[in-house]
Amino acid sequence: MHDGPPANYSMDESQRGSGPIVWAAIIATTCLLLFFFQKILWLVVPFLLALILYYFLYPSMQALIYRGMSREGAASLVILGFLALLSVIGVGLAPWVTSHIAGWQDTVIGYVQGGLQLLDSSLRTLEANWGPLARAHLADTVAGRLAQGAGSVTDHLEPIAVGIMAWAPSLMLAPFLAFFFLRDGRRFQRFLGGAVPNAFFEKTLYLLYEIDRTSRAYFQGLNKLTVLDTLTLAAGLWLLGIPGPFALGLICAVLAWVPYVGSILGGLLVVLVAATDFPDAPAMAYWAIALFVLVRLLDDFVYMPLTIGKSLALHPLVTVLMIFVGGAVAGIAGLMLVLPVLGVVMVIGETIGVIVTDPRLMARHRHALALRREQASADL
Amino acid sequence: MTVVKLFRPRKTSPRLERLRNLSLFVNLTAAELQIVDGLLHERDYLAGEVIFDEGEEGQAIYIVASGEVLICRQEQGDGGQATQLDLNEPAAFHPRRRQGDTGRLAQLGPGTFFGELALLDNSPRSAQARAATACQLIVFFRDDFVGLLDTHARIASKISRELARHLGARMRDMALATGVHQHL
Repeated sequence: MHDGPPANYSMDESQRGSGPIVWAAIIATTCLLLFFFQKILWLVVPFLLALILYYFLYPSMQALIYRGMSREGAASLVILGFLALLSVIGVGLAPWVTSHIAGWQDTVIGYVQGGLQLLDSSLRTLEANWGPLARAHLADTVAGRLAQGAGSVTDHLEPIAVGIMAWAPSLMLAPFLAFFFLRDGRRFQRFLGGAVPNAFFEKTLYLLYEIDRTSRAYFQGLNKLTVLDTLTLAAGLWLLGIPGPFALGLICAVLAWVPYVGSILGGLLVVLVAATDFPDAPAMAYWAIALFVLVRLLDDFVYMPLTIGKSLALHPLVTVLMIFVGGAVAGIAGLMLVLPVLGVVMVIGETIGVIVTDPRLMARHRHALALRREQASADL
Repeated sequence: MTVVKLFRPRKTSPRLERLRNLSLFVNLTAAELQIVDGLLHERDYLAGEVIFDEGEEGQAIYIVASGEVLICRQEQGDGGQATQLDLNEPAAFHPRRRQGDTGRLAQLGPGTFFGELALLDNSPRSAQARAATACQLIVFFRDDFVGLLDTHARIASKISRELARHLGARMRDMALATGVHQHL
């Protein structure tokens, strides 16, 4: 006998929202995962890139399967096509890169010095208009500290170059992983579904679909956000007359994948370019800053809720708080990973909560176990 | 030549042949069946095991590959709640007892399907489904079907047509049974 609720169950019950205990578990699990992921970042980053690649290439593979190709063949062909495209781009860019690589160090140093000059001229203008700052010799103090603390630009370029070289092998994992996601993703889903007892089967499959839908929506949202950011920034920079507006806009939009830190880096890049290419017109750098702030505001209040925020169906307050929590737990990696991890953990947590607290489903499971025990011992 | 070979229709496997014999997929080509096959799940149930309950939100359609399935109304307890006594009784007793119930609606054999309304909306199941004998079921989820509508509309339309035929036949049967058949 069971004195639980009726057999009638609807997903409406799961949609009424989880309680505080489930949410506390969701947040705690997210933090634990972020902490763990931070330790295996060499695997997590290629895994994320592979997921993005998977969602990007999946429609092409489906089209090939529809035309009669096997899943294995279609996955291989799609990945080979992607690698061939990368190779063509690489070969096409190689002459340009080799002819410019020698000058890159000077270019970077030039841009950094342009930025420092802008800072210095801005501080001296402030000093000229505001007595207390002049008496504090603010410009000299800042210049001295920068020279003392920052050291030579070349000192910083070397570790960045070494870091890129160290990351390159693990990034090459991404297409390899994407190939197996494409080829075996469905098999893996069926394998997971097959391990679930009959009583929980529909709910668990629903959970897997929700995770897939959340991930797909997140990564597709991220792609849309990148396109919107790139176009808006490129249009603004083009109107200001800054060279290479599209490339700059794209770099800033990709950097913005890392919340806060990425945006600051992107803004800094735009200001450096404006200050260096227009050394006699500091107003250009200020306009670039204004444009960047405007795009950030648009991004936070219009684009992001329309793309990523909408896909995860998270309350804006929870989103912002979790970004801070992610940063505190796992640094820059945490900032980047917190939203997708939270989205997946949220779906799993809420569904497990619904299954475990449903007495009818638990009763059906116990009944099925009893039937199997009975069958196993029928002739004993 | 190799490229042509890649796109050449493959030989139909016994598994695909079995799928083609199911009324829902009868009009699909080998390539289309291959795609649908990738979306299907197989589940084994013992006699007496509940497949889904009345009132539960439907997520999938079930196709009987082997064995028999009983469709029945659940007994109603106090306050309209389904009683749960039946789950604790001896397993082998269920099918026989259920067949004699007044709530018994149908017993389905291999090749037939049930829970088809779940493909169309997320309304509650209108009856309980329970394995009458040990059976193997093929499960097709609504989300996969909706995905097919987006990615392979041709396949989805063929399945939809079979579904519509099935529902139409059922409506005619109901109309004949109740004597209301003016518009059917």
